[in-house]
Amino acid sequence: MLPFVEDTIVAISTPPGIGGLAVVRISGPLALETINQYFTSTQKLKPRYATFGKLKHATLGEGEFDDCVVTYFKGPRSVTGEDLVEVSIHGGAYLQQKLLEVLLRAPGIRAASAGEFTFRSFLSGRIDLSRAEAVADLIHAKDEAAHKNARNQLFGNLRLLVDSMSEKLIHSLTILEAELDFSDQEIEFSPPQALIDPLSEIHETTKALLETYFYGRRLEDGIRIPLVGAPNSGKSSLFNLLLGEERAIVTAQAGTTRDTIEKTIVIAGHSIVLVDTAGLRDAQGEAELSGVDRSLDEIDSADLVILVHAPDTETSIPEELIHTPQVVVFNKIDLVSERPENMDAYLSCTTGQGLESLKTALYAQVVNMVNMGVGGVVLNSERHRDVFIRFKDQVTASIESIQNELGPEYIASDMRLALDILGEITGKTTPDDILNQIFSGFCVGK
Amino acid sequence: MSEDQTKSPTPQAFYDVIVVGGGHAGIEAALAASRLGKDTLLITMETAALGRASCNPAIGGLAKGHLVREIDALGGEMAKATDHTGIQFKMLNRSKGRAVWSPRAQIDKKAYSAYMVDVCNGQAGLDIFEDEATAVIANESGSEITGVQTRGGSSFRCQALILTNGTFLNGLIHIGNKSFSAGRIDESASVGITESLVDLGFDTGRLKTGTPPRIKRDSIDFSKTTIQAGDKNPEPFSFSTQDFDPPNEYCYITNTNEKTHAIINGGLEFSPLFTGVIQGVGPRYCPSIEDKVVRFAEKTSHQLFLEPEWTNTDQIYVNGFSSSLPEEVQLNSLRTVPGLENVEFIRPGYAIEYDFFPPSQLKATMETKRVKGLFFAGQINGTSGYEEAAAQGLIAGINASLSIDGSDAFVLKRSEAYIGVLIDDLITKDTDEPYRMFTSRAEHRLLLRYDNAHFRLAEKGYRLGLTTQALHDDVENQKALAKKTEAFFSSTYIKSDIINALVETQTTVKESQTLANILKRPGVSVEDIQTLLPDWVNDLSPTLLTLIATNTKYSGYIEREHLQVERLSKHQQMSIPNAVDYLSMQAISFEARQKLDKIRPETIGQASRISGVTPADVSLLIILIKKIVSRETR
Ligand SMILES: Nc1nc2c(ncn2[C@@H]2O[C@H](COP(=O)(O)OP(=O)(O)OP(=O)(O)O)[C@@H](O)[C@H]2O)c(=O)[nH]1
Ligand SMILES: [Mg+2]
Repeated sequence: MLPFVEDTIVAISTPPGIGGLAVVRISGPLALETINQYFTSTQKLKPRYATFGKLKHATLGEGEFDDCVVTYFKGPRSVTGEDLVEVSIHGGAYLQQKLLEVLLRAPGIRAASAGEFTFRSFLSGRIDLSRAEAVADLIHAKDEAAHKNARNQLFGNLRLLVDSMSEKLIHSLTILEAELDFSDQEIEFSPPQALIDPLSEIHETTKALLETYFYGRRLEDGIRIPLVGAPNSGKSSLFNLLLGEERAIVTAQAGTTRDTIEKTIVIAGHSIVLVDTAGLRDAQGEAELSGVDRSLDEIDSADLVILVHAPDTETSIPEELIHTPQVVVFNKIDLVSERPENMDAYLSCTTGQGLESLKTALYAQVVNMVNMGVGGVVLNSERHRDVFIRFKDQVTASIESIQNELGPEYIASDMRLALDILGEITGKTTPDDILNQIFSGFCVGK
Repeated sequence: MSEDQTKSPTPQAFYDVIVVGGGHAGIEAALAASRLGKDTLLITMETAALGRASCNPAIGGLAKGHLVREIDALGGEMAKATDHTGIQFKMLNRSKGRAVWSPRAQIDKKAYSAYMVDVCNGQAGLDIFEDEATAVIANESGSEITGVQTRGGSSFRCQALILTNGTFLNGLIHIGNKSFSAGRIDESASVGITESLVDLGFDTGRLKTGTPPRIKRDSIDFSKTTIQAGDKNPEPFSFSTQDFDPPNEYCYITNTNEKTHAIINGGLEFSPLFTGVIQGVGPRYCPSIEDKVVRFAEKTSHQLFLEPEWTNTDQIYVNGFSSSLPEEVQLNSLRTVPGLENVEFIRPGYAIEYDFFPPSQLKATMETKRVKGLFFAGQINGTSGYEEAAAQGLIAGINASLSIDGSDAFVLKRSEAYIGVLIDDLITKDTDEPYRMFTSRAEHRLLLRYDNAHFRLAEKGYRLGLTTQALHDDVENQKALAKKTEAFFSSTYIKSDIINALVETQTTVKESQTLANILKRPGVSVEDIQTLLPDWVNDLSPTLLTLIATNTKYSGYIEREHLQVERLSKHQQMSIPNAVDYLSMQAISFEARQKLDKIRPETIGQASRISGVTPADVSLLIILIKKIVSRETR
């Protein structure tokens, strides 16, 4: 959706996922003012000049963004016809994302909607009219894509959650509006204080939802599941088996795998990044040493770990593993008749026996993780996160207005604004929606 | 033609502007047109009925009071008439903030009508003709209005025709299972206009409204009711009213009970509303008593207000008891109400069905999109309420005159006036229920206060030529004083110990603060800090000082609303060519295409407010329109 207002927007303008140079663009009246809060250089930003400098701000991590190039285009001489700032930084998806998140926290800035930069270019006459249809198609296509997205399960749940918050908010607002428009009638109005509870609930839900964001991003990028265990326990064998192809090298020699290899598969409808790692032991030689280090890093950033035991190996469990959810597998059951207790799965990579039980255990864990969000919802879009942060702030402001005993018209103004923000996801709530609620809920009219 | 101030005894064959109907819309339309120098004819069935209040004897109320103030700022008559003929004045929502305060007055209906008759008779350039308009006359292609035909056989030519027919078009009154043709009780319906408009291609529909019984004053036992008086220090509606000292006559409150409701329930089988005889849709905010008893069955009592219809009246209006039940059912149920045990009717309540023309057929000027020179205002557009009608009449009168002059249209924005909200809602919405103004309809409610109506609009009224130089100077002077005082408030610091001694709030302050910041603290009013203010501030009129204090106290909110207005796209004003083929715009959603095709908005702003048209649709529309416009100009 393109909100029909002209304010300052920000977006990553390099295609996502490509390393090297990343460009983040800010367009609108606050573009220059905003970047000046983050950018320091020996030179002042000048229109149409690329200026080399550093990004520095309390909200940016230590040193991460040291060098960057900022190019400022003064409206109307820019592609959007507005003041436009392009920030080029080195680094991959993570840094782009981080910079975007930080810029979105600047006052008055919001995430651009699909096609919004192009639309502004068109409005400013920078895209010539003969291409109007192409711009229209672009917006149309993105809008369609958003609708398709709306049908997928994750988004469907988000929609339900947003609708239920929006309903709660409308209900509270209705009480205030009824009091303002029908105070001359014999209706018992609950005091605004009664609205604090529902508003606090909305606030809590939003807060919890926002906390799922990092997790949501991970889901979006793929759940990382490294295979860890002692050398020779059969990690590479299992990796190949789960992939259904001979990807990793398997030998009888302990310490075969030195570098990590990863590959994406789909389980329970979710992308899983399976990572084969070097076996954990006191390494011999530098190459293996760095392999082990990398394994420990993988465990650190894992969402879930497959820990592989085998009868002919001994596993030393590293500290890093303690807080990571895991699926514990006992491999090589073809070799022994006795099995240790309390494993999630027992299997043989050689015969393939027990593979289904492992898959079932994995499936259960993945579903469990996905459902960890609020009511089955995890946030994974930066735009949605931007909306919910502004929404939460506005709900807080509404609660404060009630606590400060402001008149109902001011509290209503705060709550209407909150509804408008939420409306960027649900579509706008009109005064008629509120009046309809009043007419069905109260006996009004003389 | 209208240079000589005396009225021609026989009307002319040609007028600049002709207004059909002498209700609240018609009066404002006719006065505005003639005051703007247009040769104007008002056609009414009965001159003495000019400005007749056909329902309750009150003007103003929540949100409606705002409209009346705005009409006044733009040079309309309603506020002045109310101040002259009001018999009880009350500020509603006084316990809440200024933005939603709203003045309301009980009026003397006879005096109100007489006042309007006098004003119209005395208005230079305005002729009044008693007859019934029966057909509009257009040119051959039906694209332009040329005149109007009357029942008495006269026909008049004009450049602009403003129809304000109220509830008269094919009016049908229902009382129980009796129904008969009428425009109001004891006044005949108007037949012919609807048919001639349908011939020109207009869509029409049916609406319903109702009115309660009128009862004899001396049949009421007032000792069993509660007295309701007006404000002790009433504020006038009009900025120009001086030395305001109106009467403060009582209204009385009583309540229905379960016995009342039982009788009403027993009579439902004779209710045209419930038997399906009434086809028109009635307003949900103004339900009949039978509606309230059925829909809110759990409520065992409803309030009734007994309101005098004029001074020394023998006739009382039973507010809250609108009904179309048979007369005996109305009477028997009312007789269960305390104080009304022996009540006698002057006449029963009734429902009336009438033709209206869905207002999405209008431009923001109130001119029809279909026929040039033809304007609609008031209940004919599906609105209810005297104030809504008057506002539309005023705007129609102004724009009829401006279009004859070839001048730019006069359109108020939603952020400028309730009148702007009213008209924009009418033309972009497709509601099937009578439209009434509510403060919640105004998204910029905090900017549109009743007390700043003149600050917002007087300048416009003056530029149009509808208000006097004196009024203009007065308003400008007050604006300047307000600005000066607000600046004083935000630049004058008061020491913390003085503040802590003066205002009791939960938290004490540690540093000195500006007067503005002190005012912004919860619970602090301008009266609380009077001792800190210099004489020149304390000497300001209380009304002005309160206005200034409100601006200061809520400046954060007010600034935020101004910012929101500014953020609105400049493309709001972009106009859409008439002949756009929406249905072929494949990129736009099907629902939006159909809505756009039906309503045919004049601007992108209007398009964006049509329900079912999403922001993405609006963006696409802008792109496609730009393309069409460039192709046409090439
Ligand atoms: N009998 C039997 N042998 C197995 C099974 N799984 C793996 N092996 C053998 O165990 C040896 C080690 O297997 P890998 O998959 O290379 O083990 P790894 O854990 O990746 O070892 P490193 O990479 O050295 O840490 C190979 O000879 C495999 O053939 C099994 O289920 N049964
Ligand atoms: Mg290996």
